[in-house]
Amino acid sequence: MTSRGLRQALHIALKEWRLLLRNPHGLAVLFLMPSAFILVMSFALKSTLTAVVDVPKTGWLLEDVGPVAKQWSQEWTNVHGGIRLQSRAQLEEALRHRQVLAGVIVRPDWLDVQGRPRADRIELWLSNRIQPAAASRLRAELGYSMLQVQMKTAAAAAGPFASVLLGEGSSADSPPAAGMPVIRYLYEIESGRAMTAVQQSVPAWLIFGMFFVVIPIAGVLTQERNDGTLARMATFGIAPGVVLGGKLLGFVLLNWIQLLLMLVVGRWVVPMLGGDALYLALPTGWFLLMVFATSVAAVGLALLIAARARSFDEAAALGGGLNVVLAALAGIMVPRPLMPPRMQVVSEWSPMGWALDGMQAVFLGAPDAVQVVPKAALLLGFAAICLWLSWGPVRRHERAE
Amino acid sequence: MAAAPTRPVASMTTLLSAKGIHYRYPKQTDWALKGVDLGLSRGEALGLLGPNGSGKSTLINVLLGLRKPQGGSVSHSGERRPVIAWAPQDYAFYPRLTCRENLSFFVAMLDLPAGQARARIQQVERTCGLNEFADKLAVHCSGGMRRRLNIAIALLQQPDVLLLDEPTVGVDPQSRAFLLDQIRQLVQSGTAVLYATHYMEEVSTICDRILLLDHGQVLVGGDLRTLLKGADRAPAFENLEALFMHYTRRSLRD
Repeated sequence: MTSRGLRQALHIALKEWRLLLRNPHGLAVLFLMPSAFILVMSFALKSTLTAVVDVPKTGWLLEDVGPVAKQWSQEWTNVHGGIRLQSRAQLEEALRHRQVLAGVIVRPDWLDVQGRPRADRIELWLSNRIQPAAASRLRAELGYSMLQVQMKTAAAAAGPFASVLLGEGSSADSPPAAGMPVIRYLYEIESGRAMTAVQQSVPAWLIFGMFFVVIPIAGVLTQERNDGTLARMATFGIAPGVVLGGKLLGFVLLNWIQLLLMLVVGRWVVPMLGGDALYLALPTGWFLLMVFATSVAAVGLALLIAARARSFDEAAALGGGLNVVLAALAGIMVPRPLMPPRMQVVSEWSPMGWALDGMQAVFLGAPDAVQVVPKAALLLGFAAICLWLSWGPVRRHERAE
Repeated sequence: MAAAPTRPVASMTTLLSAKGIHYRYPKQTDWALKGVDLGLSRGEALGLLGPNGSGKSTLINVLLGLRKPQGGSVSHSGERRPVIAWAPQDYAFYPRLTCRENLSFFVAMLDLPAGQARARIQQVERTCGLNEFADKLAVHCSGGMRRRLNIAIALLQQPDVLLLDEPTVGVDPQSRAFLLDQIRQLVQSGTAVLYATHYMEEVSTICDRILLLDHGQVLVGGDLRTLLKGADRAPAFENLEALFMHYTRRSLRD
């Protein structure tokens, strides 16, 4: 691009900014929406992404009237808390009113003829709101606890010698929380700091917000095309590349303002409301590379959609819908750890997925070139293809074809 | 009335000419333009007439270089290519910018030095009577103001040739009279104007010559007064509308 072209592109970028400032809906989509998502998801995912999950409060219903079942439930509630209930209807009511998050029903004949507990005689009822990780923890604790009952039964049958081997005090108690193994995610090991929901949410929703530049871009480009403004610009000697370059420049710069706002929300607004603060000591070089690559890819895709759509409605529906699907696929809406393994692999192969991988490497761990450069390269390649595919339609409309 | 952009004294030098223009839209079998010839001289207004779909806008796009004809050529006389500006039928500007912001944006596209750019904006604001509304958002302007802004943007280029496509559609009589005055002044100052319209009385008021197109072909063209008197075995006509109906027949068009 010549220096004249660069100056023209700069004026096109300024014009795009001016138009955006007078477009409250566009501003809301680009700034309010991702900020709101960060706030909501930083609290919504607060305990989901932590490695340590508490055992949920449990209601016990003993349909087995034997003394072992009674003692087992008593020992459980001594260690983990919980309440005893008298009927299935009561348990259902307690779950509905969130007095408990889970219910354990010990059905009749819980012990077999040798006095061993049978897992198939246990029913586990879960609240609709229980976290999957908490339900898993409950299942694991119940399995361990039943194993202890079985060992005690075996020890009782073996007589005093076995009781000595097993130890008097340890037979009934579950290990206290302090005795649990230390669980750490890889990014915690790499970075030396704990994973928080805000650390996950800021890059994820920043990417989402960046890709929504499709709305203001489509609004202006479809109007320019349909009213003949693009053709008029051609009569002023403006090449299609300059038009695209100006828009690219304007919205890439806008993405940096989005970034600043999201960092402010994560660092200061979320803690003000009681959440964790975003950790900001990020590796600057990799951080800048990932933001730039993501931004160029987002604006490139937006230009492609806007250039190819016949109307603003079509561009907004296609762009907005595509962004939501890409975000769901990439693990922005549902964090990757909550996806099944196959879905996690699929989610790595989308533009938002590349952006999220690279950004999370920057925001969560201590990234190296292997983690960041391939993702940035994929995003830049994707952007180049999008811009190339947008050039044709813009050129055609500049030529009034 | 403010002065139009300065221009050398009018002479009848042909600035722009088109010879044997053939144009067919992609994937269409019919020609939109079939062998159209046209010449535009400095300081003249040529009325381009024709029913809807006759090829007027296509011809303007060809003259602008926005469409490449499959046959024929567009050429210019003189050492430098004349500056050709265009005011399209649609409002080709940004409704959410003020009139002045629109002018500033388009003048920036010309990449002029800052002082020169400012001067041009002031000049076209005066010429088109936009000073009073310069800070008004274009979307809030009346139809007449928008038409003036549409032409003002074209005048920023200080054109040798001005192509106007239905420049008075949807404006009140006052704005129409103002616009016609402006165009007349531009012609007097030496600008060549191609004036495409359906309003016969406007053509009669400002144009010396006409070109009547239909089905992509020139039905008749030449000096307006001569044509009205009846030339080439045609009868004399009471007015331009009678001439138009005589040549294009009365059948309804698109």
